[in-house]
Amino acid sequence: MDFGVVVRNINFLIIQGLLGFGNFVGGTLRLAIPAIVLGFILGIFVGLGRLARSSRIRVPATVYVEFFRGVPLVMVIFWFWFIIPVLLRVPIPEYGVALTAFVVFEAAYLGEIVRAGIQSVPRGQVEAATATGLTSAQVMGFVILPQALRNMIPALVTQFIVLFKDTSLASIIGYVDLTKAAQIVNNREIRPFELYLFIAVVYWLCTYGMSHYARYLERRLAPA
Amino acid sequence: MKRAVSFLWAVAFVLGGVGPGVAETTLEKIARTGTLTIGTRTGSPPFAYVNKQNAWVGFSIDLVEQAIVPAISRKLGKPIKVEKKESTPQTRIPLLTSNAVDLIAETMTDTRPRRESVDFSLTFFVTGAQFLVKKASPIKGIGSIAGKRVAAQQGSTNARIIRERVPNARLQEFPDQPAAFQALVQGQADAYTNDGIQLAGLKAKAPKPDDWKIVGDFYSYEPYGMAMRRNDSDFRHMVNTGLMEAIESGKYFELYDKWFGPKGEVPYPLTAENKRFLQMQVAPK
Amino acid sequence: MNYQFDWSVLWTGQSGQWLLQGIITTLEISALSWALAAALGVLSGALRTVPLWPLRALATFYVEFFRNVPLLVWMFFWYFGVPPLLPGPLREWLFNHAAEFWAGMFALGVYHGARFSEVIRSGIQSIPKSQFEAAASTGLTTTQAYRLVIIPIALRLIIPPMTNESLNLLKNSSVALTISVAELTFQTRQIETYTAKAFEALTAGTAIYLALCLGIASVMSWVEQRVAIPGMIARVSPAEH
Repeated sequence: MDFGVVVRNINFLIIQGLLGFGNFVGGTLRLAIPAIVLGFILGIFVGLGRLARSSRIRVPATVYVEFFRGVPLVMVIFWFWFIIPVLLRVPIPEYGVALTAFVVFEAAYLGEIVRAGIQSVPRGQVEAATATGLTSAQVMGFVILPQALRNMIPALVTQFIVLFKDTSLASIIGYVDLTKAAQIVNNREIRPFELYLFIAVVYWLCTYGMSHYARYLERRLAPA
Repeated sequence: MKRAVSFLWAVAFVLGGVGPGVAETTLEKIARTGTLTIGTRTGSPPFAYVNKQNAWVGFSIDLVEQAIVPAISRKLGKPIKVEKKESTPQTRIPLLTSNAVDLIAETMTDTRPRRESVDFSLTFFVTGAQFLVKKASPIKGIGSIAGKRVAAQQGSTNARIIRERVPNARLQEFPDQPAAFQALVQGQADAYTNDGIQLAGLKAKAPKPDDWKIVGDFYSYEPYGMAMRRNDSDFRHMVNTGLMEAIESGKYFELYDKWFGPKGEVPYPLTAENKRFLQMQVAPK
Repeated sequence: MNYQFDWSVLWTGQSGQWLLQGIITTLEISALSWALAAALGVLSGALRTVPLWPLRALATFYVEFFRNVPLLVWMFFWYFGVPPLLPGPLREWLFNHAAEFWAGMFALGVYHGARFSEVIRSGIQSIPKSQFEAAASTGLTTTQAYRLVIIPIALRLIIPPMTNESLNLLKNSSVALTISVAELTFQTRQIETYTAKAFEALTAGTAIYLALCLGIASVMSWVEQRVAIPGMIARVSPAEH
């Protein structure tokens, strides 16, 4: 067992793999953070769409959710990697492919969480808000969503953690994230146990940090 | 965000049946973007690999950067950058056909069936297939691999030949060279087959080079060429011009010496026969 | 560039065979790792309620560590990192009997075991204490209470989240392609490598996954309705992937 290989390459693993600064196109955080933000935004639309009264919006939203929940993320990544450039006749860099695949895929799951959150707000709130003269858009924006968001935080953060872990799949299309960086070093040094154990610990630290922050948020935002 | 919006517009356009009408040629695309995107390996020393300083280097990469790109820059009248993307035997042709890369500069053998999907440049290296085995292994070449576990890269010419010529060898196919080599290291395979020069590179860069030996006569002829999209004559001409000029001016042999010379990463002397072959590929001015 | 569609690649030549082999391998690896995951999930779930502190800590460590690391990393770890540490004869056997399949199976099973554990644990915790008390007050012994009241309720409660996690397991089996397991997604890549018909191959693979997932989900939904206890409030939990 020679953990020296980790020490010798720690710059490459952390700065290139985790953060994304270096000679290669990569970075777990560089992919995860925008994916979480954009995925959440799209997820709100998807969740609202699932609750829309008009079936012209509700049905496509439902099909979208059921479709992406029924296929593996690896498949979705391959779709975006192979087919979209052919359709658009323009090459798309790995970062764009990975980011789009993650946002589109995770929005289906985040949409369900948003939907459950909205549905958990008591009906009385809607009625009271309407009674004070707010339009339905204002009701949604000022009354329902804020309360729904508070309820959703545990489930949302769980899903964000899942998304963070899923960014490792971007390594399949050559994006140099933490996992791919470890692969590159391993290919040269052949020390898989040490290297993969190391990045497992790094991933664990990140996700532990995220869930810790979530518990803190929950306490902060709990209704007085 | 801007890219996402334009992406959505592009999707709408295409789905609406209105797409860009005229396909541009590779040279036009390089002139427009100022970048030549190549597909190359990350684990095939010394042609294309990530070295101990975690820099992406290699003989094939140098040929592109120091022989081909100068020719293209001169022709287009502007400096051209090189962007590298990883390719493997499985992904290299899709990467080309989807326009993700313009040129495959790695260790791809020029074969007739492959010429039906891609075009090749001049041959820039000549080698043949052999076997890499543990020092104490009884395997001596293609004649002694019957029943043994042989690792190869999925989609390589070597895998196909073993499957055809020695059907009772237990062929195990791996997505790329490092995975296949690890199988050999861990004892999952008895031999790893690839082109001789690549085996030499792998052995030289292995943690313990003396544990391995390369055995067998060349059981196939493997001329390496750079691959590009079909029917793209201008670009192909530029690539060939770059290679020819490098051979003519001696730059090629300088690079050869750097990687394969006595002080190079993987010493592999250039035979007189191969040198002549390379020189004879240079069309007269 | 032009793309020529050619759907016949899916059933002519070897492609049809590859797809079939891919489906079989996917189902095989999913079934075996499901069994491992269920066993680990129940075991670690149980250990977390035991009064002995070290056992509780071990179970918690297992769940928290394995659940929070990406499955892909586990795949590489089990396939590349573990075999060199095994004793010689076991390693030999493994290398002669599809090491990648077993590595993939263990990676999937151990990872999802940690996730099943959470599902089972929150399922049991959500049973109101009043059920335990009511069962005791009708004269049932503890064993009888568990066998006749608690476990039947627990099993019904966890059907939706367990179905969800099981489908996740099935979908996650696709990650095994990175260690050369010839499952369904791998085979779609194989077809695409040899015929260059990416669109057809990906469509076939996607359709099969959809059919499998939607099929299993509807069967489990029917099962849930069949075994529902009237008056028992169903747990509605947001789907996690």
